[in-house]
Order: sequence, then C-alpha cells, then structure tokens
Amino acid sequence: MNDKETELISRCQQGDQDALKEIFNQYHKKVYRIAYGVVRHREDALDVVQEVFIKLFRSIKNFKGKSAFYTYLYRLAMNTAIDHSRRGKKGTFFSLDEEGGFQPSDSPDKRPDQIVARKEVEEKVRWAIDQLPQDQKETLIYREIEELSYEEIAEATGCSVGTVMSRLHYGRKKLQVLLKDMVNPVRNSSGI
Amino acid sequence: MKRTTILTIYCSIFFLFFASTAFGQVQTRFRVIRASNVGTGVDPSLGDIHGQLGSLFSFTSYRLLKDEILHLSPNRPASISAWEGRIIIETTLERMRRRDVADLRIRVARERINILNTNVRLSPGRTVLIGGPKIREGVIIYAISSNF
Amino acid sequence: MKNSCSSVSPLIERYFDRQATDEERALVERHLPVCTTCSEKLMALEGLKNALKAPVDEALQEETFPWVWEKIEKNIRMERKPSWWNLLRSWLDLSYLLRKRVWIPAVATAIVLALIISPFLFQKTPSYLEASVVEYVESDTHNVMVYDLETGQVTVIWLFEEPEEETFSS
Repeated sequence: MNDKETELISRCQQGDQDALKEIFNQYHKKVYRIAYGVVRHREDALDVVQEVFIKLFRSIKNFKGKSAFYTYLYRLAMNTAIDHSRRGKKGTFFSLDEEGGFQPSDSPDKRPDQIVARKEVEEKVRWAIDQLPQDQKETLIYREIEELSYEEIAEATGCSVGTVMSRLHYGRKKLQVLLKDMVNPVRNSSGI
Repeated sequence: MKRTTILTIYCSIFFLFFASTAFGQVQTRFRVIRASNVGTGVDPSLGDIHGQLGSLFSFTSYRLLKDEILHLSPNRPASISAWEGRIIIETTLERMRRRDVADLRIRVARERINILNTNVRLSPGRTVLIGGPKIREGVIIYAISSNF
Repeated sequence: MKNSCSSVSPLIERYFDRQATDEERALVERHLPVCTTCSEKLMALEGLKNALKAPVDEALQEETFPWVWEKIEKNIRMERKPSWWNLLRSWLDLSYLLRKRVWIPAVATAIVLALIISPFLFQKTPSYLEASVVEYVESDTHNVMVYDLETGQVTVIWLFEEPEEETFSS
C-alpha cells in the first residue's frame, strides 16, 4: 500500500467523502468486473458497485491495514455480489431497449437476434457459476476475470496457494462440464 | 425510550381523566308528574312506579309533564322547572359514596321562595318522590330515580 | 510420451495461469507440440476463460456508470442526516410498539390494570339497604313527612300545605 493510498484510507475512516470519491474513481471498474463476473447482468452489477462503496464507507473503520487494501475491497465486492445474486435472481426477461434499439446501419452484433443470443449465453454462464460452491466461485472469478496471482487470491480468500490451485482445478472441471455446449476449445471460444 | 416515556405519560393522563370523569358523574332520571283528581289514568311512562303511586296516593290521574335524564357532576347543580317556571327543582351531586351510591342535595323553590331542602341517598333501583306543592287542579310530584 | 504427459499434464493449469516456474514453462512448451491431449486441455482452459471474461470486458467497455457516484453520495448523506420529514415520520412511527419486547409487557400491564380496576367499574351491588335514604330534610314553609314504602324502593317526601291534608290513601 503506497503512502497516497494510506492517506486516502485514513481520511475516509474519518468520514471524508472526498476521499471515498477518490477511492471510487480508482477502484470502481475493478469492483464492476467482479460484480459482473458473478451476477452477469448490467443493472445488478451497477447496484452491487453502489452497495459496495456504501458498505465500504460504513466499514472502513474496521480496516487495520494488515492486508492490502485491494484484497479488503475485493472481498467486500465478492461477498456483496454473491449476496445480491442469492437475494434476487433476475429472470431471463430482458429488454432490447437496453441496447438502444436497432438501427439498420448498426453492426451485425447489435441486431436483436444477436443481442438475444448473447443474453442467453450470459444467463447460461451465470447459472453455471451459481452451481459452484462459493469458494470455487470466488477463486475462479479472481483468477479468470481479475487475473490475480495465486498468492493474491490466497490473501483475498484467506487460504493457502495449494488450496487456491485445488479450487481452481475442480471449479474449472465442473464449469467445463456445465458449459460443454458453449465452450469450444478449437476456434469459436464463446460458442456464439 | 424517550418516546415510550412520553406516550406512557399521555396515556396515563388520558386514563386518569377518563377515570375521574367516569367516577365523578352520575346519571339520574327526573320526572315531573301532575297528580290530580281531574280525569283518570296513568301516563304509560310512569309504568315502573304506577303501583307505588296507587298505593301511596288517592289521585285519579297522573300526567307526565317532563322526563329528562341528567348527568350530575359534583358541585354543578341541574335545574328542572315545572308549572311554567314557577316551581324550580335544583339537584346537586354532593359526592359518590361508592360507584353506585350517590348523595344528592335537592332544593325546591316555588315562585322564588325555598320550600324544601333535602339530602337523599340514591342507589340503583331507588326512587325518591317529592310532592305536595299545589298547582291549579292538582299537585306536583317530582320523581328522582337512579339511572345507574 | 505417456510418462511425459503424466508429468506435464498437472502443469498445464499453472502454465495457463502464468504461475509456472521457468523450468516448468520450458517443459510444457517442449511437450505441447507433440501432445494433442495436453494441447486440447490448454485450449479448453482458454475457451472457458474466454466464456467467462470476454462478456465482462465487453460490458465494462460499454459501461458509463451513469449517476453511480451521485447515488452513493446521496445514500451516505441520507444515512448521516435524516431529513426533517424522516425525523417527523420516525417520531410518528409507532411500529416500534408492535415489537415483541414492547407489546408483550404493555399487554401484560394492561391486563393487570384491568383486573385491578374492573371490580370497581363493573361491580353491581345488590339493592343497597341504607338505614336512611333521606339524610336530611328541612322546610321553612311546609310540614314535611318522609315515608318509605314497605315494598319496592320508593321513598316519599311530602310537603303539607295545610296540616293533616287528606292526600294519602288510607
């Protein structure tokens, strides 16, 4: 943790909202990636981001600096996203209006049928991730989406590197089975 | 905690007020009767004391002139008038001995002259008849009954 | 080959995650061109990662985070200082009375009070036999007679205008 970050955290602990805004500017995209990785839905991911920073402001007094700040934040983001996912899964209904409507000049991937196909894939991925035990789910998200190292994942999840590797191995194995129709290892990797 | 305390105080005040008013008031029934020997018959509203009237008096006719229920409170006299205001009967609740026993002070005046002062004790089912002041062809009988 | 495969295969994931040592990486890279099984395993890992990561990258690229910070700020402000309206609502809010630890003792107290007070409120005494219904009587202008009926609860106070007036039945 560098000095600037230490100073920001200290100000935030004293209730300085401007310090929180700076932390938000620095980390909101990373939090969004973790949130989206779990909930696989834009509005839900934005809700999670909002919730994470509100919770951070409430709980930052408890941060003692024993671990890196980002692992504290990632843990908060992961737990919030998983809770959000458990609380209310959005149905498969989605509106094409989210995408701003179709214009003839739009590229092929913006056509309604393509949008629907993409949404269905996302729902399938979300469902598959939800089938994993929480520890495997967290480990996979940290590794595949945030590309954290084994050591960083171990620190974020509070376990050993060996456990991280084991969870990754079994998580990947299960997901490959659940998503076998979608995961094409040869050329078209996402199955779309 | 503060809100609970304030609410409790309000409820207590309300309860005490209600209790005090409930205990301090008494309902009584006042009937003004003209008893005479002109005509015959007893007003139907006097059915509850018809027997007593017959055994007490030798009048042939009992007409009900007034029938009122009054709420008596301590030290607040209630007045009933009869015979075009020439007879005034004023009743005051002295005190409640118990919930169902009331001490009443009654003053009867005719043409502004005090003719009777009395203290009576009224209990459920009890009727006090005050009579005698003469009017044209008969007498006034004043019946006070408990309504509690 | 089989032996090489059995020793390289466990390293594929570490290699894929770029967590392998230099030695392990060299071993894998020598093995992959000659082993389709291990190559397919690596490609499967790539495919899975792509299925998980690509949509996230795409979503983040398109995302503008509209009003997110403003909502966070508003929420924190609301938590810190409730508006006068919320204060008034919280004062008028009696839902706390419905909490168990409030209404249970309140109901118990009400029952105890009702049991204490109800005998006074609802008690009906049998006909109250007083020694005297008329405590006091006075008239400056008339003779007064007080008469209690033997049956029934009637007391008569009679004012005589003339002595021995024949009003009462014999």
